[in-house]
Amino acid sequence: MKLLRLHVQSFAAVGSVDVEFGSGLNVLYGPNDLGKSTVAESIRFALLLPHSSTHFEPYIAWAGGGDPTVELTFETEAQRIWRVRKHFGKTGSSLLQESRNGIDFTDVERGRGVERRLREILRWGIPEPGGAHAPRGLPTSFLATALLSTQADVSAILGQSLQNDLSGSGKEQIAAALQAVAQDPLFVELLRKTQERRSEAYTDSGAKKAAKGSVFKEAAERVKEARREKERLQALVDDSEGAEQQLRELNDRRANTQEQLAAAAASAVRLELLARQAADRSAAEKQVRLAEEEVRRIKSCRNEVEQTEAKIVDLRSKVTGAREEAKKAQELQSQSANALVSAEEEARSDGGDPSSTQTNAQLRQTLAERAVHAALQRIDSILAAKKLFDAARAVELELQQQQVRAEDARTKSSQAKEQENAAGEELQRGVLLERALEIQASEKQVRSAQAAVDHKAGLTARVQEVTGDRASLLEQRASFIVPPQSLLPSMNRLDTELASARGALDVGLVAIVTSHRPLDLTVERDGEAVDPRSVAKREEIEANTELEIDVPGVVNIRVRGGRREAQARFAALESRWKQEVTPHLEAASVSDLEGLSAKIREAQRVDAGIQQRDIELGSLQRQIAAQSDIEDALQQCAADLRARRAALGKMDIETLLADLTALGVDAAAKLERRRQQSLKGVDAARILSGQAHKDHAVAEERARQLSLALQTATAAWDSASCSFPEGVDAAMAAAQVEHAACVSSKQAIDLELASLAAQIEARKKRIETTLRDARKALEEARIKVASAQEELETAMIDESAQSGRLIELRKVLDASDLVQAGERLREATEHYDALPVPQRLVSNDEVTATQSTVGAIESAIDAIEKEIHRAHGRLEQVGGAVAREQLSDAIEEFESAERQERETEAEYEAWKLLLEQMKEADAAQASNLGLALVPAVAAQFNKLTRERYETVSLTAQLETKGVVVAGGVRSTSWLSVGTREQLSTLFRIALAEYLRTAIVLDDQLVQSDEGRMDWFRTLLKDKAQLFQIIVFTCRPGDYLLKAALVPDGSAVHADMDGGLIRAIDLRRALHRR
Amino acid sequence: VLKLLHTADWHLGRRFPFLPEEGQKKLSRARMDVVTKILEVARRNAVNAILCVGDIFDNPDPAPDFWQGLAKIFRTHPGVHPPLFLIPGNHDPLTPESVWSPGHGFRSQLPDWVQVVDRDDFSYEISPAAVLYARPCRSKAGENDPAMALPAREAGDERLRIGCVHGSTFDIPGYQTNFPISVDAGIQRGLDYLAIGDTHSFRDVTESVLVPTVYPGAPEPTGFDDRGAGNVALVAMFRRGLRPRVDAEKVAFWRWIEVRCRDMNELRNLLTTPDLDRHVVKLRLEMTVSLAEESEVERILSDLRGTDATHGRAGVLVEDRSGLRMQTGSGDAFPEQLPAVLKDTVARLDRLIVEATEEWERAKATRALAHLYKLLQSRDAIGGQGR
Repeated sequence: MKLLRLHVQSFAAVGSVDVEFGSGLNVLYGPNDLGKSTVAESIRFALLLPHSSTHFEPYIAWAGGGDPTVELTFETEAQRIWRVRKHFGKTGSSLLQESRNGIDFTDVERGRGVERRLREILRWGIPEPGGAHAPRGLPTSFLATALLSTQADVSAILGQSLQNDLSGSGKEQIAAALQAVAQDPLFVELLRKTQERRSEAYTDSGAKKAAKGSVFKEAAERVKEARREKERLQALVDDSEGAEQQLRELNDRRANTQEQLAAAAASAVRLELLARQAADRSAAEKQVRLAEEEVRRIKSCRNEVEQTEAKIVDLRSKVTGAREEAKKAQELQSQSANALVSAEEEARSDGGDPSSTQTNAQLRQTLAERAVHAALQRIDSILAAKKLFDAARAVELELQQQQVRAEDARTKSSQAKEQENAAGEELQRGVLLERALEIQASEKQVRSAQAAVDHKAGLTARVQEVTGDRASLLEQRASFIVPPQSLLPSMNRLDTELASARGALDVGLVAIVTSHRPLDLTVERDGEAVDPRSVAKREEIEANTELEIDVPGVVNIRVRGGRREAQARFAALESRWKQEVTPHLEAASVSDLEGLSAKIREAQRVDAGIQQRDIELGSLQRQIAAQSDIEDALQQCAADLRARRAALGKMDIETLLADLTALGVDAAAKLERRRQQSLKGVDAARILSGQAHKDHAVAEERARQLSLALQTATAAWDSASCSFPEGVDAAMAAAQVEHAACVSSKQAIDLELASLAAQIEARKKRIETTLRDARKALEEARIKVASAQEELETAMIDESAQSGRLIELRKVLDASDLVQAGERLREATEHYDALPVPQRLVSNDEVTATQSTVGAIESAIDAIEKEIHRAHGRLEQVGGAVAREQLSDAIEEFESAERQERETEAEYEAWKLLLEQMKEADAAQASNLGLALVPAVAAQFNKLTRERYETVSLTAQLETKGVVVAGGVRSTSWLSVGTREQLSTLFRIALAEYLRTAIVLDDQLVQSDEGRMDWFRTLLKDKAQLFQIIVFTCRPGDYLLKAALVPDGSAVHADMDGGLIRAIDLRRALHRR
Repeated sequence: VLKLLHTADWHLGRRFPFLPEEGQKKLSRARMDVVTKILEVARRNAVNAILCVGDIFDNPDPAPDFWQGLAKIFRTHPGVHPPLFLIPGNHDPLTPESVWSPGHGFRSQLPDWVQVVDRDDFSYEISPAAVLYARPCRSKAGENDPAMALPAREAGDERLRIGCVHGSTFDIPGYQTNFPISVDAGIQRGLDYLAIGDTHSFRDVTESVLVPTVYPGAPEPTGFDDRGAGNVALVAMFRRGLRPRVDAEKVAFWRWIEVRCRDMNELRNLLTTPDLDRHVVKLRLEMTVSLAEESEVERILSDLRGTDATHGRAGVLVEDRSGLRMQTGSGDAFPEQLPAVLKDTVARLDRLIVEATEEWERAKATRALAHLYKLLQSRDAIGGQGR
């Protein structure tokens, strides 16, 4: 804080005063009793005393002129200027204003608020006004005493302590100031850096910074982002692996199902083969059976013919017997009829009637009756004749019908035979086609087996070819004697080193041969001989590495280029070359490593060729091994084919091909169906034929009998018609007329006889009995005749039927060929025996069930394929290996981000901890304010007193305990007044320096000697550069040089040292009333 | 002799999220730079064709910088060029939205000598005696063998036949759904050379077989596991039935290494690695150091890493300090003449270490001591190098 201006009005003895302060040392001087301390007090009032306090009352203007008014302008920091104006009194007021330029002020607080605000600004340990512990009167505190101490008690500060302050603000301000000043610069810098690092991550309250840009946020965001990406990719990979797992399972299922299918299909094929074998055998067996049946049928037919012939003979004898029986019965009937007629006549001729009239009458009646009877007989005869005609006509008609039936039956029989023949031919054709089909199948098997045999032969040929190639390559390889490829690099290195060593020897040589007489020289240059030469005088011989000059019989000079080490190195390398490389080059018949390398590559190529052929040979041999029994299979197939062709007989298979082609696919089944139909047709035709034969024979027999009956009837008619020459109808008319006349006559007689009836009754009964017996006998005879006739007819029918059957059988027999049938049976039996016997019997249900199983498994495979397709589609979407690669990167990024986050956290936690510990250490160091302040005070006090005292002792609350002398603390009361004033002043100056605030010294050093005042003058001048010092004094010379005083005139103040020192003449600034 | 340059797995646009941002950019740019180098190798060897077998881009729809950059390299590369074939792989499959789509800007910017394999029945007659068959990936995963989908040799065809497909051979884990390629596919399809891509290391899968099936590897490695990466394959084909010669030629600028330092000497020795500025270094510190050594560790790491003002000694540095431990306590690391308040600070931290019940508390206080040590060292308040 720095005071800028003070304006006081009506304050005790002061009428008014107006002072502008300088920023450094201000010395306000004036004579005693001018009012200097009043002015100093007015500053205290301005800063500390509420306008309503009664403490002002002693300061009411002594001379009147209004209530005291104080206006103080001060600056707390740059461009922060305050102006407080207090008007004390009953109508007092306070006003606090603020300005940035010291010219334009704005009101900040008024009334009581001014005190509160001022104490906030000052922070001198004075509580807010109006509180429970608020002081009455002029408030005081440690700092108020230190900075504004009154002249009355210049050593007051030595008895003060922060302990007594009612507010902690003064202590805090001092502690902060002492701490800041007391801190080691290194520590301060480290603390600042630590604070910066800590602030990067934490707020002032110690919470982690969560805003965008904070280190934790960035690390967490990176982790979050990495985790999100990892989880996204993990989900993709999970999906992918799920799909892959599903695919694997589906593939396994498909493989298993395909295995099942293969097994089921193999089973089905095996069962079908067994079924086909069984069917073939069954068909062949059937053929055998049919052939056997045919043979049996023909034999049976023969037997039946013989039996039928025997039956016919038997039946014919029966017919003869029956005819005889019938003849006998007719004779018996005739005899009975005669007996009846005799009986009737006997009855009629019985004359024992007593009444002759009756007898006559009866005679007439009888005559009449006879006449009637005769007429009736005549009519009957005529009717009989008519009946004979009708009967003959009926027989004739029936005969015609029977003849038609017989013809129909013959026609049907013929048709049935034709049908039977056709069905038989169809059956036979079917058998031929089946055999042709089997031949075709066998031919196909033969072709397939032949192709396999050919393929095997091809493979065998290839084996021989590859074996030959391999042998050739082996031979070729044997010609290569080359080292392993791995030796080449070392050889190349040796080659390079050798070349390098040789280069070191290639220094160039020139030999100058100067001969004193002609010499014949033999020269070898660089290992190559040069033509012998003769040297006369001087000759230069040049070589690259080596030169050998030989003068025969005189001297041999050999010169080699290069240093001895180089030669030794070359020799060693050359030796190594000869040991390690040359044998390989010679073995490989090459001159250099390049050639050797080419040879090695060639050998590798040959090795690869051999290896390739080994692989091919292995493959070929596996293929051949897989077809080891193909020749046996071919032979078996060929044998089958021959057997089947033999079964076809002389039939040319070409004639059947069209039919076979027409059958299309599944010919065997179609042929089987056709054979069944043909068999049915044959059976049906045979039944029809038998029936037709039977019908024909019956009709023929009936026709024959009817023919006989017609002859009889015709003869009877002819006989009867002879009795009626006039014609039957005329005879009938005449007979009817005669009959009517007779009836009339008879009726007359009847009447006559009616009376005689009773008489005759008894006789009549007797006669009737006789007649009845005769009639009975006749009836019995008739029955016998009928019976005999019936038996005859039955016998004749049977005989006729057997004859018809015999004809039929003979026709059948005629149509059959037992030899051929026997031949067929033999062929069928042989074919049957030639067919393979199935290992077991397989039912159609079993085959069908297996085929159903195959179908079901195929359906299951289709379903699995669809599922695989779907799973594959899913997999294509999710990424497979791509997703896994990305996930790997994402996991690495996530782990890196997590590591980074942990590292960041640990890093900044450590910074935070370090800062805390530094602050705690610092606080611990600074909490003892006395320790902090002592060095500053003691240093100056030592200088002032020339180290008469060791140091000053202050408590932690800045209470002065005393001075240390000889290791002991002495109370300041032991000090002289002047020394005590000086110590007090140094203490206050030290505090003002730490706080960088203005201090008011009101004649503090009046007891000091001149020497110490000089020292203080220098001190104050120095300190004025750091803070503002305001001195009230009546002896300006103690503080100012004479030249610094305000010159005569109207000026109130004068500045020195660029304004650092301001002298203010209060006599001119202050007006008393 | 028919000469081919076979390359794959450029992965242009690939990100390296686990690397520092500057390092990511360096490596991303290097992947573009190596393309020019590949074209130079092709020119120097006078190859008849350049086969780029899949994963040219890291994803099917790369950022324009990459496809425009690649097209520009192709367009502006001087000289006469053999035909170059770009085959979509599982990272950049041929889809309607991909960079390979006929309507994509990339296609229109390619020069005539660059061909994109965008048909399943792609074939190209490199010379009357040699024909190329190629098949693109159409998805990121697949179960079908793309090599077996190439047409088989027809009877009487005596030309050299070269196949190009992208996928995994059966000896690589996970091959089942990554376009599996059977090892003898080349033989089965009657090829003389089967050029494949996917694995990032150079590898001749069928060294003992007449038909080479070769992974050239990535021309620039993409990770620390890519041992054997950084090459292209130079293929010399002589005649049918003679195994082509396949040589790897190094083109990579970068080398990826993993370094584990268990003491200070190993860490110091790392600085002497030749061409360290061309290395991506994954450095794992597994050692316990004193306060002074920790300070040196920081200094070395800073040298390797570089600062805003200086280039790092290492091209790219990935640090893993999880194994770095510090000796607890200040020991005699701090000088006696320290200001009292700093001595007090050190004493307080030492006390915290002694009284700590948890390891993390000890570690934190030790680290705080290390901070203080380094601060003092930076002020030259401690013997050693100032910073």
